[in-house]
Amino acid sequence: MNRTTRLSPMMRCLIVLVTLSPCPLVILSPSRAEESFAQICDKVNPKLVKLFGAGGFRGLQSYGTGIIVSPDGYILTINSHILNTQDLRVHLADGTHYHAKVVAMEPELDVALVKVGDNKLKVEDLPYFDVVEAAKRPPVEPGTGVLAFSNQFQIATRDEPMSVQRGVIASYSKLYGRIGIFEATYKGDVYVIDAITNNPGAAGGALTTRKGELLGLIGKELRNELTNTWINYAIPISARITVMQADGKEATVSILDIVEKKEKYKPLLPSKKNEGPGVYTGIILVADPVERTPPYIEDVVPGSPADKARLRPDDLIVYVDGVLVGDIHTFHEVLSRYHPNQTVKLEIQRDRKLQTVTLTLEKPKPKKPAAKK
Amino acid sequence: MRKQLSLLFFCFAWRPWHLGSLIFCPLVILSSARADDLDELQEKTIKAAVRKIAPCVVQIETQGGTELVATGQRMPFAPAGIRLGTGPTTGLIVHADGYVISSAFNFANKPQSILVAVPGHKERYVAEIIANDQTRMLTLLKLIGVNGKLPLPVAVPKSEMRIGQTALAIGRTLTGPDRPMPSVSVGIISALHRIWGKAIQTDAKVSPTNYGGPLIDLYGRVLGVLVPASPRAEGETAGFEWYDSGIGFAIPLEDINRVLPKMLQGTAKEVVTLKRGLLGVTLQQKQGQDEYSMPAIIATVSPASAAEKRGLKPGDTIKEIDGKSIDSQAQLRQVLGPKYDGETITLKIQRGQKEIQLDVKLEGAVASYPQPFLGILPMRDDPEPGVEVRYVYPNSPADKVGIRAGDRIMKIGREVPPAPLRLQPIAGRDQLMDMLETAVPGLELSFEIKRGENKKTETLKITLAEVPDTVPTKTQLPEKASAKKALTRPKGANPVRPQRDQENAHPPRKQGADDKKAETGFLKRTTAAADHTYWIYVPENYDPNIAHAVLVWLHPPGKNKEKDFDNFWQSWQFPCEDYHIILICPAAESERGGWTQSESEFVQEAVRTVSENYTVDRRRIIAHGMDQGGEMAFALGFRSRGLFRGVATTGAALPSNPRDKVATQPLSFFLIVGDKDPLRDAVKETKAKLLEKKYPVIYREIPNLGRQYIDGRLGIDTLEELARWIDSLDRL
Repeated sequence: MNRTTRLSPMMRCLIVLVTLSPCPLVILSPSRAEESFAQICDKVNPKLVKLFGAGGFRGLQSYGTGIIVSPDGYILTINSHILNTQDLRVHLADGTHYHAKVVAMEPELDVALVKVGDNKLKVEDLPYFDVVEAAKRPPVEPGTGVLAFSNQFQIATRDEPMSVQRGVIASYSKLYGRIGIFEATYKGDVYVIDAITNNPGAAGGALTTRKGELLGLIGKELRNELTNTWINYAIPISARITVMQADGKEATVSILDIVEKKEKYKPLLPSKKNEGPGVYTGIILVADPVERTPPYIEDVVPGSPADKARLRPDDLIVYVDGVLVGDIHTFHEVLSRYHPNQTVKLEIQRDRKLQTVTLTLEKPKPKKPAAKK
Repeated sequence: MRKQLSLLFFCFAWRPWHLGSLIFCPLVILSSARADDLDELQEKTIKAAVRKIAPCVVQIETQGGTELVATGQRMPFAPAGIRLGTGPTTGLIVHADGYVISSAFNFANKPQSILVAVPGHKERYVAEIIANDQTRMLTLLKLIGVNGKLPLPVAVPKSEMRIGQTALAIGRTLTGPDRPMPSVSVGIISALHRIWGKAIQTDAKVSPTNYGGPLIDLYGRVLGVLVPASPRAEGETAGFEWYDSGIGFAIPLEDINRVLPKMLQGTAKEVVTLKRGLLGVTLQQKQGQDEYSMPAIIATVSPASAAEKRGLKPGDTIKEIDGKSIDSQAQLRQVLGPKYDGETITLKIQRGQKEIQLDVKLEGAVASYPQPFLGILPMRDDPEPGVEVRYVYPNSPADKVGIRAGDRIMKIGREVPPAPLRLQPIAGRDQLMDMLETAVPGLELSFEIKRGENKKTETLKITLAEVPDTVPTKTQLPEKASAKKALTRPKGANPVRPQRDQENAHPPRKQGADDKKAETGFLKRTTAAADHTYWIYVPENYDPNIAHAVLVWLHPPGKNKEKDFDNFWQSWQFPCEDYHIILICPAAESERGGWTQSESEFVQEAVRTVSENYTVDRRRIIAHGMDQGGEMAFALGFRSRGLFRGVATTGAALPSNPRDKVATQPLSFFLIVGDKDPLRDAVKETKAKLLEKKYPVIYREIPNLGRQYIDGRLGIDTLEELARWIDSLDRL
């Protein structure tokens, strides 16, 4: 895991090429580049910790990674099963180890704050990432070179440095407002990384720029439901999302807020989803005999919102307020989140063209007793 | 798999893509940038390239379609049928009038509606599929209502492509056209001329995230269009299992542009399909050699094929194509692989001492004919000359001329005027089957029949029909199927022609196999090398004088334990006794009990071993499988046609397009699916694909049955019917 030896083949390659290259590259100094990489890794590594906690059975690893966010031992990591223990341990970069306790958790952001040291065992002057500064940094573009530091597969032990991977940002994506994009609770923007970073134990590791500036926290091992493939992502430090709470009020949560409030941080109580009273559109869809039947309109109830919006049989509903409804099931699920008197924009396919109609939703009609045959 | 690769990956994470960037990055940027950092320079170049291509990369969304898509060649542990994501996919504009090329993978689930978002356009467009390229797994879409003015990408000439140059894989799945930058994965060109000369290989991460998107160089020019691909399988989803592994493929845009004019002629109603150009020959195979070492010597020439029209003959050796020398069968594939239907190649062949050069126009399909049908079941294990009729199919050609059960077919001949009719004596069932295999429906043949108590002979003219899609009912099928003299040497006339190959010969039996009583019941066996296990069930009423059918059970994933096979033989016990069937139950070795292609060797070994120890009817060996085992059954049926004559599957769809029919190795199919099975539509399509290739197919859809075996209340009638199908597989 020695950084310098791993770099050397590349650098040799560079040196050869620089000498051969016809380009005016005199300004480039390979030795400087090598040095700066080594320096960055030396700078970043002490700010990372190895976490050991619950797990070790049923394929669940008992180890993870975290980043130090204050000189007195606050550690930011991903909210995962390894924290569910009284016996959480943290190994610092120099090999010293501590018991740790969880001081705050925010399921909506999928992060947790952990503390090492207490009154008896004081921790001071640890190297740390400046989260305030990192949260201010604007999102970086796809194609930006990044480094990922984590203790994936628990390869590093004690004072050994983290495994470092290099890649680029593949995308900075809001994965649409669709249901179940992730199994994880966090549904905001993420950095998708063009490197296989999200491995066992990597969650909570640091994603940085090539200069070692903190960009995000490496996430869990997840499948992306858009493509049904494994996804490598990191939660940006600037993550800030708005959540509808149980009392009906909206509240904003951010990583910065958690790091600043520390023990005083209270996780939000978000309202349960899909709890709406239901709405009435007057749209009668075709029967749903197979999985993924698209929402074709079979009929429209006269005088209903659908009728007023001039929907007609054989229209195919494609988007509801910009969200693709691939099948009847998704259409019902998306609509269940609306309230009566809300308006909703439907994009329908009619005569090989998309047309937009606006519906004002009504209260659900009382159910009629089943007609006798 | 993924984890292992990723481990490898981070060890080699410092790939020398610098090499590529240094050599190929635009000089302007290099000289103008005052970067003190090589990486920064590369980063800028990458971003500039991505920005340049971004306006040509569209996002595609689909609605409807099936949930599961049958897979192609698989890696171990892959599930049967992959669940496609529901998210958006990617396409590349190839014509200003609203034409977009994409990977066929993105439409493998047959969506009902396709919507395309173009960067810079506020409205989404409805799109229709107008052309498919089956050789390269590409689909061309027409955006309705778009005329002119779409930006076009620049193609990199293939002659400029170099291994090691930087390649960026671009996708629109994660970021829509509302964001300026599509997603990007950075890598190099790993190889050229992959997948039989059709694709560029890259180590950039290629997955459903960017299938259909472009692979570009550092100037923002397009190298190719990203597709899943596998050198060992065909089909829309083949190669998917390699996603994000560092093994990705793209079809050169230059090649796509070459066939684009043809594809542009398609419409939603008349979709243009580009097919592979076929020569219409099979090649001679040698035991113990692979396609890299065997020369391309023609074994058979298909009737009415491109090869036949130009007079190619069995025994000809293909030496050169378009000036490229062909030393092996693999080279032949490499050169023919990229060719389309209708393309003309110049062929140099060696026939005896002569070298002949000729032009051949390749054809998209090799004409195949339905299996011919006389309309009888023969009496088996009968050493007497001729063939006794065991059963006559109602309304069949045999029935129409009055052939009845108990009659004996003695001679066969074809009248070719003006020559007088000459009848050849028939030695037995196998010989008659061989002779009829090469005939086609509609052909008139003459038969000499011996019948009645006084053994009067009569000559009848019969016009052959097609094999029907019916199975005789239980009341129709005569119980007596065998003369029970399988061990007696046939007394028939001298063979009219030599046996075609060893596998078609009458079952080889070990000397003295009939001396001691053969072991019966449910038995565990291991292969000679003791590396694989299988179970066999031999019915208690086993009689070595009766040739038994063999049913090879290819279990669904995970059902590879002894108790699973125990259940299986018990479901089949009575059919096995009634119809004289031996079961072979090989166990897949992988942890999760899924089949891998390499296990076909051991399955074949198991069948051969059983054939040596028991009296087996070589004309009735069936591969029977469920789920992924069913896919294995298809693969076995197509690959070892000398061995298998039937494939019976339940809840399994063909992973790729079926191989062409080979007249001398007939193969019949029995497809079963529950109407509640998510794969039902895929199985229906399998039926259509097999019928298109003129294979005899029986399709049974069982009401209320889901993804389960047919041994329950719902499927038991079909199981019984399957047994009768096995009994009647030597129909003539």
